[in-house]
Amino acid sequence: MARLEILNPVAKTVEYSVTPARRPSDLDGLRIGLYWNMKAGGDAALDRTEQLLRGRFSKATFRRYTGSVGFIMRHCTAEDADRIASEVHAVVGTTAD
Amino acid sequence: MVELERRGIPTVLFTAQTFVHDAHRSAASFGLAGLPLAVVPLPFTNQKPEDVHRMAEAAFDQVLAGLSKAVEVRAVERPPLEARLAYEGDDLLDAWGRLQADFLKRGWGDGFPLVAPTERAVAAMLRGTKRAPGDQVAVLEPGFGIATVEKLAINAVMAGCGPQHLPFLIAAVRCLAEPKMYLRNKAMSTGPHAPLVLVNGPKGRVANINSGMCALGPGAPSASNTVLGRAVRLAMMNVGHTYVGFSDMDTIGSPVKYSCCCAENEAESPWEPYHVTRGFAKEASTVTVHFVYGICELHDFRSTTPDDLVRVFATAATNVAQVGTGLWLIGRRADPRSKTEEREHNTLFICPEHAQIFQKAGWGRRQIQEALYREARLPFKTMMLNKEPQAMAAAHPELGWMHDHPDLPVPVVEDPGCFDIAVVGAAAGRGTYFYGAGEPVTMPVED
Repeated sequence: MARLEILNPVAKTVEYSVTPARRPSDLDGLRIGLYWNMKAGGDAALDRTEQLLRGRFSKATFRRYTGSVGFIMRHCTAEDADRIASEVHAVVGTTAD
Repeated sequence: MVELERRGIPTVLFTAQTFVHDAHRSAASFGLAGLPLAVVPLPFTNQKPEDVHRMAEAAFDQVLAGLSKAVEVRAVERPPLEARLAYEGDDLLDAWGRLQADFLKRGWGDGFPLVAPTERAVAAMLRGTKRAPGDQVAVLEPGFGIATVEKLAINAVMAGCGPQHLPFLIAAVRCLAEPKMYLRNKAMSTGPHAPLVLVNGPKGRVANINSGMCALGPGAPSASNTVLGRAVRLAMMNVGHTYVGFSDMDTIGSPVKYSCCCAENEAESPWEPYHVTRGFAKEASTVTVHFVYGICELHDFRSTTPDDLVRVFATAATNVAQVGTGLWLIGRRADPRSKTEEREHNTLFICPEHAQIFQKAGWGRRQIQEALYREARLPFKTMMLNKEPQAMAAAHPELGWMHDHPDLPVPVVEDPGCFDIAVVGAAAGRGTYFYGAGEPVTMPVED
């Protein structure tokens, strides 16, 4: 029997922790952000989502956002996030594929 | 989305089924493993609006739940981080086979057999640098892996490197970690981003990095190139946590991603070495990393003048199916955290024979860059075939007039400096055009 002992190649990672936001009990009357990173098709998904939310929550209002930097994908900077957080109560996003 | 959660804003993110694992891992890397998702069966890209609408409708309950139900904070999956692993077998070869199988199962290998990183092999590797094993070289995205000298040495052993290659790997990892590199984008993308590693200076020659015949391999003369390029990929994987399926979402992949490394043929170049154009002294040794997508050959046995060569080269540059071609029209690759921006560069390897044609006519790199910039143009309507008009409106509202001039010739890059030129290879009129992703980064090779 032979034994081959080796060193682990996988690096430890820097750990971050974020506490999730508290969820509202009702979306009606809230201002909802719709964030599109400009990848094709995401805008259509948000269009339909806005229609459905309007149908369900008649007093909800909506704002559209995209990131201030980027190319095929436009990204949200810290300043963008501050601004969005100051303007809406919740966000629906299309940022992944 | 995680940044909005941090600011107290509930979010939900549409995500295609294929990308669920990726979305969870990304959110976990940023500190929120349970980020709510509204999962749809397909990516929205390449779908008709009515089909996207149907997917959004089907996921609407998930949208509501994501915004209204308390988020379950999930435990983050972590790989085993014990310092040592052991494999047993009937003999050492059998144990080594078990190591290969286990590493592949864990996703730690590139598919080729790996050299076993025994303590002795790693100790020998570490003699290639004066840096201490515990020194932190960088933190590598997308997993925020801590790149210590020892972890890089372990991966260098696995790739087949010798101690003489370790300083080059350290320099390459420093390139990867530069904020301007925006490694997260390139590592995780659905595009086949491959790190092209270009070595300049005397240390590359000492370490036998091939700059001549078949410099990009395969073959014995490029053995150092092969293992060094491979080590960069393994470091991206095991140090940066770039793993296929949840943090490398490449649609098809590319053989270029296994290893793509060579040195500039400074001896046969009529110009100053490439790294001098990057601000380094001629006698310095450097590593440049430029992420590239595909490769196109630049074949021309007939041309004897710079203008004719440039016309041929420009045909490679005017390939609108390559993502970087004309990308400047819709903005710049940009890391939203560091707010660094990159122009899209392309790298040309020009063979010594072609370089001599330019040099005899009195052309340097700048003349080639400017001529290519003039020659490599496409009609605006062609350039925009695969680009989002709204992205152009956001990036360049001042260029909206172009839509009224669909046949206007538009340059493929933002400015002439976006063509990076190095002399590589042996005799015969063949070069290489690398379709680049963002800007190259150069770092010194230090002992």
